[in-house]
Order: sequence, then structure tokens, then C-alpha cells
Amino acid sequence: MKDDITLQTRREFLHKTVLGGALSWTLPTFLANTFSALQAEAANQATQAPTGRNATILVVLQMAGGNDGLNTVVPFTNDYYHRARPKIGLAESKVLRLSADVGLHSALSGFKDLYDGGRLAIVQGVGYPNPNRSHFRSTEIWQTGSDASKFERYGWLGRYFDNACSGCDPTVGVSIGRQAPQAFAARQPTGVSLDNPQNYRFLAGRPSGPGEMSSMEESYRKLNQPEAEMDANSGSTIGSLSGTVRHTGSVLDFLERTALDAQVSSDKIRSIASRVDNLATYPASQLGNSLKLVAKLIGGGLPTRVFYVSQGGYDTHTNQVNAQERLLRDLGDSVKAFVEDMQGQGNLPRVPLMTFSEFGRRVAENANGGTDHGAAAPMFVVGEKVKAGLLGEYPSLAPGDLFQGDLKFKVDFRLVYAGVLEDWLKTRSEPILGSRFAPVQVV
Amino acid sequence: MLRQLPNEKWTFATAAHLLNRAGFGGPPEEIERLVDLGPERAVSHFVDYGGLPEAAPDPAWAKPDPERAERLRAARQASPEERRMVQQAEQKNQRGRLIELRAWWLQRMAVGARPLQEKMTLFWHGHFATSAVKVRDAYLMWRQNDLFRRLGTGNWLQLLIGVAKDPAMLVWLDQAQSRKAHPNENFAREVMELFTLGEGHYTERDVTEAARALTGWSYDRMTQSFVARPLWHDRGAKTIFGRTGNFNGENFLEMLVAQPQAARFITGKLWSFFAGEPPGEELANALAAAFRSAGNDIKPLLRTMFLSEEFYAPSVLRNQVKSPVQWLVGSVRVLEFPLPPPLVCEALTRNLGQDLFAPPNVKGWDGGLSWITTNTLLARYNGAATLVQGNLAAAAGGMIANRPNAQRQPTRRFNQMRVRAVDADELFTEDERADIAALIAALERRLLQARLTPKQDQVLRDYLAGQPQLDEGAILNALRLVMSTPEYQLT
Repeated sequence: MKDDITLQTRREFLHKTVLGGALSWTLPTFLANTFSALQAEAANQATQAPTGRNATILVVLQMAGGNDGLNTVVPFTNDYYHRARPKIGLAESKVLRLSADVGLHSALSGFKDLYDGGRLAIVQGVGYPNPNRSHFRSTEIWQTGSDASKFERYGWLGRYFDNACSGCDPTVGVSIGRQAPQAFAARQPTGVSLDNPQNYRFLAGRPSGPGEMSSMEESYRKLNQPEAEMDANSGSTIGSLSGTVRHTGSVLDFLERTALDAQVSSDKIRSIASRVDNLATYPASQLGNSLKLVAKLIGGGLPTRVFYVSQGGYDTHTNQVNAQERLLRDLGDSVKAFVEDMQGQGNLPRVPLMTFSEFGRRVAENANGGTDHGAAAPMFVVGEKVKAGLLGEYPSLAPGDLFQGDLKFKVDFRLVYAGVLEDWLKTRSEPILGSRFAPVQVV
Repeated sequence: MLRQLPNEKWTFATAAHLLNRAGFGGPPEEIERLVDLGPERAVSHFVDYGGLPEAAPDPAWAKPDPERAERLRAARQASPEERRMVQQAEQKNQRGRLIELRAWWLQRMAVGARPLQEKMTLFWHGHFATSAVKVRDAYLMWRQNDLFRRLGTGNWLQLLIGVAKDPAMLVWLDQAQSRKAHPNENFAREVMELFTLGEGHYTERDVTEAARALTGWSYDRMTQSFVARPLWHDRGAKTIFGRTGNFNGENFLEMLVAQPQAARFITGKLWSFFAGEPPGEELANALAAAFRSAGNDIKPLLRTMFLSEEFYAPSVLRNQVKSPVQWLVGSVRVLEFPLPPPLVCEALTRNLGQDLFAPPNVKGWDGGLSWITTNTLLARYNGAATLVQGNLAAAAGGMIANRPNAQRQPTRRFNQMRVRAVDADELFTEDERADIAALIAALERRLLQARLTPKQDQVLRDYLAGQPQLDEGAILNALRLVMSTPEYQLT
């Protein structure tokens, strides 16, 4: 299996795979890679070719439930902090110091190593105006990148796909999980969600012999080939198909194209998952498994620009201390392993990872050893090329500076998105975010 | 515009189209019956459902539960441990009811005598797009569903007032908290933007002023019902759509529906839902005019639409992507087989991207092409194996929602479940089961009401010819294969 992009017509692809009976699909590249390669050839694009061997890749990690930022990036010298949190506040001895007055939760030793190695940027006090304290709504705001007063249909990453990746391979966005996040919702839906590569396929009966495909699967493949591809006189080439099928074609054209995409991406993903090995040891957790799979897919050369993984459980209304410790340890160790894996592959320079959570939590602890829904919290950006260190300013904890008991944000999250889109994905952020947000330089 | 379909165009194909769109499809015999009725009586069969029997009884819990509110209130004073237990029990209870509620509704669609009533209920659910994720009370979700069913083909203004006072909606768009001192603009904005006019047909001032008019319409948690709170209502003068007065919520909704744009907006959306594409300019005008002249009543509009030649245009026939619900209900109807158990139905529709009672956001499901991604297409193909062959592995993927603290327990229950395979002997005659060409023709007629392409026909022929015998297993595989084509996703 070669990794370089080889131009190939869709017809050639089909003949090699199905018509030629070479059902092990030993083709040099992904069908839609040819689309983007051709797009790149067209050359008068403001942005770089969205997919390709050396393209940059973004990993988004959702900390679902609302992580308590104050006990994650801890202002351990702050009197207001200790007064508001007599039970669950972390003393200096319990944190990993980053500066004279800010330290990481001790479970985040993985992050501390990354920080010391210049691979971790911490954007402090991230939030948005008129914060909403509902999980559902605030997650939606982060996922769509909308104002708190507006409802957006599409996600910020979906709008990126619409803007920059029209006609791309469906694996331009891959979310690890059973459902695509709302961040991927797009005018032209794209992206693949899977938790286990073995489920992302047409489930057919058992093959009659080793290496053989069942006649059922073979029939499914043939039934899902567009008619035009079978017609030797149609003269259809990649040129006539590229980028036009989705927009001007009939509903059936679109379905046929998607059916073919499903076949090709399913084959590719399953092949990579079985052939690429991880180069680091991950925690045995759901997040660890998700990042393991992401690392394999990156290593196998899937033409993905955005991966999305999620870690749940941060809604710590009661007995927060143990729960958050377990989650943060998993987070730090999983991400550190992922960074090592990327480094081993030689892909670290092109893969940053960004975390977010729908909100932080109330400054004051509650009566149950936990915290309630709050507002601003830190975001982490991890990678070789990130602007490492503590970025921005810790929001004030003085009671008079709080809004209904919550931290006021210092940095709108869309400034971070803008930074990621412009500096990392090399695309203009304004058409995606709807208005101009001065990018935070995280890269 | 809106010419009536000539009788000579009433064929198996057009009758099937009516059955698929005004209802949820059905087997060939049902289509033949509609052909025999002729267009007017066939359309009347759907639209004039008043005399037909009601389907299944309501769920036992579909009534207010005063003890629940009391329990939740008491829990607030209880210890953290107790409170967590009460909340967990309540969540489990609600989740179970929601699964039941989804199955209850799907069952009405699949076997009820009033398919258009359920189709319109589905339309309004997508239009008003209220989610149990925020409402968190299955009774309120049922109640809204029942409202759509009762008023869904009646008068537009009456329905809109009903929805504005509907408890689930009051919670969903925060109207419940809106009071004179702090008017909440959420419902006031969305009722104009999403429900009646569309963006660009109102001003920000209209939103602010309408929010004031609506203050005092609230929700009482104890009785789980609408309550008007006079003390919360802003009695001052408001200016909405250029008119000034001491308007209340009803006045505002009356003014809203009287806007010329309102008729165009809702008729255009109804046409798109049933025809699968937005109406052209001339047709949009004709639909709006027909709606207004019928006093904004929905039923006459539906009759006009279903009898119109435009509804049976070549660009409309078999050119709409089935929604996941249409896919599921339509499939069991053409397979003449019961719906799978509630958990399996829930998993299938979720895998396919349409979780009933949990639309993705206030704008509802996008519909159309957006139903189809590589994931959801594979899920449809594998879901066909669940429906035809009782293969549950295919549906299992949908059991865990991608949300914090997702409930894992149902997965185990799910794995213990058994689903029967379709009985091929019931669907095909002896002759059809003995001859490949006859079988393929029967498959086409039942599943597609159209022909496969010559190439697909050949693939199927080769598959069947390659089997040791034309037995039950081979026929079920062929059913599943036809359902695993791009063509089957269209209606």
C-alpha cells in the first residue's frame, strides 16, 4: 500500500476494485483524494488543498458535562479561591506549579510534562457573553460557534467543511463515537462517525472461504455502483464528476455518490485500523481508546482534517474531588500518550489537539462537595508548534467581579476557534464564524 | 396552477405516490385499492379521517402526575445522597417512558387507520422541534404530540395559540420564565423566525415588543399545565408590525397569522414536506391564496395539494429522500411485518439520524439530502438486515447516545432480545418464489414501485442464480439487497 497521492479516475478505481474482481481494493489512494488533488491543481484557491499527505490535522477533544476549570488550572495563592472552596479547594502542595500563582491539578502530570516540554498552551478564562448554564444549550453554543442569543443550524466545523472542503472525501471529518457532534452539522453533510471500525461497514454473511468476499457483499458492492461508471461509452472521468455531483446532480446522484463513498471509506478505515500499530501506551479508558484509533487513522494516512473525540462525566455536582481526579488523570495520560504516538509517527508537527467544555463551574463549592454549572474556564491546546505557556489572564475571583457567582470570561471562545482556523487550518475564519474575531495566536 | 390531476394519470405509480407521501406507504394490494377508488376518493380516504377508528389507547402515564412534582420538591430539601437517588430514579423513569412514547407513536404510524393524521403530527413535530432533552418530562412531550394530532389539520391560528400555551413549548423556549421585569425573547423570536414568517419579515423591535405582549403566559410545575400569570404580564402599549396597542399574546398571534407572508411561509413548508422540493414562485402564490381563501384552514389545503397535477410532476415522483421514520415505518408496512421492539426502533431511528422527541435543535431536522451520510446510509443498509432477517447486530450501534453520563443499561437488555425474520411465504406467491425473474419483478413492485436499473437487475439475477436453491434464506437476502440500494432510500 503506497501512501502517495496517485491521480486515478473513478472509473479506474471501480474497475480495479469491483469489476476487475480485485476485491482486496489494493489501490494507491482514496477515491476522493483525487478530487482534492484536482482541486489543488485548479490552484486558484485561497486556501491550501484541504486534504493530502502533509496537510495539518486538528483533533478536538470535548470534555462533556462542564469541567471545573478552577480546580484544573488552579489559582492556588488566591484567597478568594480558598474562601469560596473550603472543602474542595486545592492547596499549593496539591498542584503542579506553572507560575507563582497558577498550577495544574496534580492528576494532570501528563499535561505538566507537555507544558514543560513546550507543547501545551493554556488559554485562560474562555467563555462567551450572556453565558447559558444549560448543558444542552451551552454545548450547542460551543458546537455552532453562535452568539448566546442566536440559533445556528450548522456547526463551526461543518461550516469549515462547507467552506474549505467542498467535494472532499467524507473522512475529512471523523468523529469517534456513535453520533456526529453538532459541530460537524453542515449544509453539505460530510464526515464519518465510528466507535469501532468493524461496525463501519456493510454487515454481510460469512464469506465462503478465506480471503473471499461473501456473494452477498459482492452483490451489495455491485448494486451500489453508479450506473454511469458501468457504461463504457459514457466517457465520464474524474473531471466531469469532481465537485459537481453534489450540487447539480439529482437526489439519486447524491445517493449513489454517498454509497460509493461509504464503500471506499469503510474499506480504507478498516484496513488502516488493522494494519497500523500504536507507538505509545494509552490508558485503558474510552478516551484512551478513542485517541488510539485517531492515532492509527492519522498514521495510516486517512485524508482527515478534523478528528473529534469526547470524554464524559465532568458534571460534578456531588463529591467532585475523586471524580474529577480520575477524569483529569485519564485526560492528561491519554493526551500525553497520543502526543508520543504522533511524535513516533513523525506527525506531531502537523497535529494539534484542542480541548473544550461547555462551561466551567461556580466559583463557590456547593453543600455536597461539588460545584454547580458556571461560566468561563480554560482551554488547552497541545502540539509541537503551539504557543506554549499560560495565555491570557486569569479572570478575577473577587466577589464584586463575578457575574451571579461565576467567572467572567476574558477570551471569547470564537477567538480561539479563529486562531485554529487561520493559523492551523489555513482558512479565513470570518466566513465560518459569521463575523470577525481577532484570532488568539495559539499556534 | 393547481390544476386537478386528470383521471387518466391516476395509475399504480401515482396512487403509490399518494400512499407514500400522505401516509407511510404500503403493500401492492393497498395501492391497487387506491387505484380503484380514483383520485378524489383516494385523497378523501386520507384527508377525511374523522370517521375512521382511533388507534391505540394513550399510554397509562399520559396524565398529570402531582406526586412527581412533590417528590422533586421534597428531594431539594433532602440529603445529597437521597437527592441523587430520587433524581436517578426520575431519570430512569423518564427514559423508560420516552422509549415507550416513541414506540407508541411509531405504532400509530405503522398500523393506524389515519396515516395522514400521523404524518401531519410528524410534520408539526419537526416544525415546532421541541426536545425532551430540555423538557425532561415524557408526559409533556406526549401532550404536545396529542395537540398536534388534535389540531394538526385544523385552523392555523388555533394550532399556533395551542402551541404557544403548550407546556412543553413553554419550557422549551423559556416562555415560562418570561415576566414584565425580564421579558424572555426566545419564544417571541422563534415564533416569527421559525414558525410563521421566516427571517427578514420582522424587525428586532417586533421581537422585543412581542416578547412583552407574551409576558405572563407561563407554566405551572405542580399541575404540569399552562397558567396565565396576570401579575407577570406587561400591560403597557406595544408596537408590533407598525400597529400600537395594549396587545396580549393572543392579539400578537392573530396579527402574526394575518401577515401576508404567514400564508406563504407555512404553505411553502407544507409543500416542501410533502412534495420534497420547495414550490416555485407561481405555485407558492397559488398555495398561499388557496390557504387564505380557506380561512387559514389546513385540511382544505392538503386536499388541494394532493389532488393537484403539480404534486404528481415527474420531478416530484420518487425524488424525495425517506426520513428515517418514513424508512422504518414504510419498511415494516411493505414487509407486512410488525415493528421491532421499542428499544430496537429507538436504536434504528437514532442510527439513521432521527431521534423522535429529540430534534437536534430549535430548527428541527434539516431533512432532504442531509438525512444521508456515509454513516447513515450504511446504517440503513444494515438496519434492513434487522427488519428483514432479525439481525440485531446491525441496530445495536444506536444504543448509547453521545452525551455525558450516557445510559448504558439498555445495551444489555438489547443484547438479550430476539427479533423474528420476515416470512417470505407471506409476501410472495408460490410462482414468484419459484422463478427468479418473477421474484425480482415482485420485489420491485413491493419495495420500489419502480424498476431497478438493468445493471442492478442483472446483479440480483446473478446473486439468486448463484444460490444453491431459491429458498427462504436466498429470498430474504434478496429483500435486504434491494433495500440496500440508493433507489430504496427514495420515495
